[in-house]
Amino acid sequence: MIEVRNLSKVFPDGTQALSGASVSIPKGDFVAIIGLSGAGKSTFLRTLNRLVEPTAGEVWVGGVEVTRLSRKELQAFRRKVGFIFQQFNLVQRLTVLDNVLHGRLGYLPTWKGLLGLYREEDTAIALEQIKRVGLQGKERARADQLSGGQQQRVAIARALAQEPELILADEPMASLDPRLSDVILGILKEYNEEKGVTVLVNIHVLELARRYARRILAFNKGRLVFDGPVEALTPEVERQVYSGNLEAL
Amino acid sequence: MSLAFFAAGLSLAGLLGLGRGSVRRYLVAAALGILVASPAFPLVGAVGYLSREALEPTLAALLPAYPLLALVPLAAALALALAHFGGRVAGLGGLLGGGLGLFALLSFLDGHAHLVKLRPVPGLMEGVAALALAIPFLALAWGQRKRAWLWLPLGVALGFGAFSWLNSPTGHTYFPRMGAYYKLVLPAEPGAEEALVQAFNQGLEELNRVRQEIGLPPLKPIQDLSGLGEGRLPQEVAQAGYRLLQPAALRYGAVALLLFLGVLFGAGLWLVFRPGLEEPGDLRQGGVMAAVALSIFPAFDATEFDLGKLVKGWPFLVNFLDRAWPPNLAQPQHDIYPLQSVASEMLLTVEIALVGTLLAALFALPTSFLAARNLTFKNPVLRLLFYLMRGFYNVDRGVDTLILALILVAAVGLGPFAGVLAMAIHSIADLGKLYSEAIENVDKGPIEALESVGASGSNVLRWAILPQVLPLFVSYTLYRFEINFRVSIVLGLVGAGGIGFFIKGAMDAGHYDQMVIGIIAIVLVVNLIDFASSWLRSRLV
Ligand SMILES: Nc1ncnc2c1ncn2[C@@H]1O[C@H](COP(=O)(O)OP(=O)(O)OP(=O)(O)O)[C@@H](O)[C@H]1O
Ligand SMILES: [Mg+2]
Repeated sequence: MIEVRNLSKVFPDGTQALSGASVSIPKGDFVAIIGLSGAGKSTFLRTLNRLVEPTAGEVWVGGVEVTRLSRKELQAFRRKVGFIFQQFNLVQRLTVLDNVLHGRLGYLPTWKGLLGLYREEDTAIALEQIKRVGLQGKERARADQLSGGQQQRVAIARALAQEPELILADEPMASLDPRLSDVILGILKEYNEEKGVTVLVNIHVLELARRYARRILAFNKGRLVFDGPVEALTPEVERQVYSGNLEAL
Repeated sequence: MSLAFFAAGLSLAGLLGLGRGSVRRYLVAAALGILVASPAFPLVGAVGYLSREALEPTLAALLPAYPLLALVPLAAALALALAHFGGRVAGLGGLLGGGLGLFALLSFLDGHAHLVKLRPVPGLMEGVAALALAIPFLALAWGQRKRAWLWLPLGVALGFGAFSWLNSPTGHTYFPRMGAYYKLVLPAEPGAEEALVQAFNQGLEELNRVRQEIGLPPLKPIQDLSGLGEGRLPQEVAQAGYRLLQPAALRYGAVALLLFLGVLFGAGLWLVFRPGLEEPGDLRQGGVMAAVALSIFPAFDATEFDLGKLVKGWPFLVNFLDRAWPPNLAQPQHDIYPLQSVASEMLLTVEIALVGTLLAALFALPTSFLAARNLTFKNPVLRLLFYLMRGFYNVDRGVDTLILALILVAAVGLGPFAGVLAMAIHSIADLGKLYSEAIENVDKGPIEALESVGASGSNVLRWAILPQVLPLFVSYTLYRFEINFRVSIVLGLVGAGGIGFFIKGAMDAGHYDQMVIGIIAIVLVVNLIDFASSWLRSRLV
């Protein structure tokens, strides 16, 4: 499903956020990405759908070389990749339904999108996802009237409304009450198991990674230092992953 | 009179000292003020024959004729130097500077009118102008040491270039008053005054005959020049480069100097008794205060600020109010209906503001997206458009609605259409700039989210940016409407119709009792619209 070869990213200010990561992830896997703050987790995830342009290396997703796509092709590719942000990134002034419908924009001709002329099936999908994340009855509420946990569930519904083949989640529960982590990860896990969709999640908390993921990728200072099943994550490896000072904080 | 100004300065210093801050800064400010005012501000008046031959020499220009005046700036410099040491020494410096300066200045100002001779100083004003051009560059060179290699030669070259151009015949044709703007005042040769008095008395018989013919009263023989009739010199004398210097004719420089001397003396007094009233940053603060004070004096002079005129005009105001009240609401027997006119014209004024603002918003809406840095920085073509748009906004903002209206009235004729056009054109820039700043400040998260679902660029604009900025746009537009309503009142004065037009017409015809209805209506509607609009705006955000 995902093939990453020698992926590197150097930011314009000279920060080497990723150096030569290579991974291969089969379809339907549930992968947790761990590492210290500043290790390059977000950068890695974002290069997969080119929210960040890598400076070297290749990314293949489902047989498509993402790193070579033109702007139009990239748009078509992205509609099949759901991205969930730590800060939700909802349009605060719009309703829950409007926000979730945004997940369908990639499937509409541009002019219909501009006018908000969604098809009936688009609305049906959106409503179904709202129900899945447990927000039925809130469709008409404005996003800024919801709690943080509800907002993140809207964001997840938006990603699911894309009918994605791949879900990328960048610390989706980091700005929420820790007790909500299970709700968020639970929804993703359920979707992963039900539809066989590949899920990559950045997780700060190691214990959560162990509980939900089948596989772990660990970064340290831009380098992929561990790649294997959860069981292989011994205390020794753990020490290696979390070694180094916290200067990047 | 002169002493009164000094006393005013003294009491000002006394009051300032009551505040807890440093007094030394006032002393510094006064001393700096004296040092600048001496060469820069006109001190007293001098007349020739024609009114354009009148001259207002500065203290510095008077030095050749009245060397004693040098005490004023010298004593101020001394006070400044002593202020550096602080404590009681600074106080004594203030007393000394203020006292010596007052003595020198008063002994000059109390003198008689004198005949003086002028010696033009070529190039001085040109030099000052050139320096003023060069100084910003020198300041830049000082501020950005790394770029000094660029700014320093540029400033120096510009200064010298400007000087040689201004000082050339070409420069003098463009700025005719600049050549020999400064003139030194020299004492007249001994005996010149007596000769003038004699010549005047001899020619008096002839002069009085002429005066009698044109119906003016005869003049008496004079003892000295201060008695010279009507305070002006005979033509030939003036043409020979003489002027009659009148120390009693104070100019604003004298007022400024006397006030500064008073503050200097007063601050000195404070410091002698309370030597601790000082802070380390006094020189800097004093400099700023001096700069502010120094710019105020010439400004008051230039605006011909004169409360006396208000006193003289008072009866007119009373008469105006008398005739304005009670308002003349309607006179059916004469077929005059002012209240009706006010209502219709006020409606027109509101409508001008509505249409002008709406048109402006329609044009500002699309252009503001091009004027937003964050939407245009990726693409070179868009970036060019960005600079074009911003350039247009900046030029447009500089041309006021009223000026546009004057031009457009000439083009499309009197009436509301010219006003609406002018208002629309000017408001585009204002709204566009506000809109584009709103766009630049949007939350970037939703943009990224919409990009991540595969939405096209225009859909990102529509769904991530527009919902964020639209309420702000509406709010800014309402605010602009408030301003435009007030502008459209004034627009009537230049012939663009509406309530302003009514008021001007009533004023010109002397119908003050009709005009007052318009004024009351304006007060009411302005407040109503401001209230309604701010209520709406508060509900939007
Ligand atoms: N836009 C950017 N410009 C420059 N440097 C960046 C940028 N984004 C990230 N970085 C740097 O790249 C490195 C990796 O950042 P990244 O956000 O991928 O870390 P992370 O593992 O997600 O950390 P966290 O757990 O804090 O989210 C950091 O040193 C960061 O400062
Ligand atoms: Mg991160």
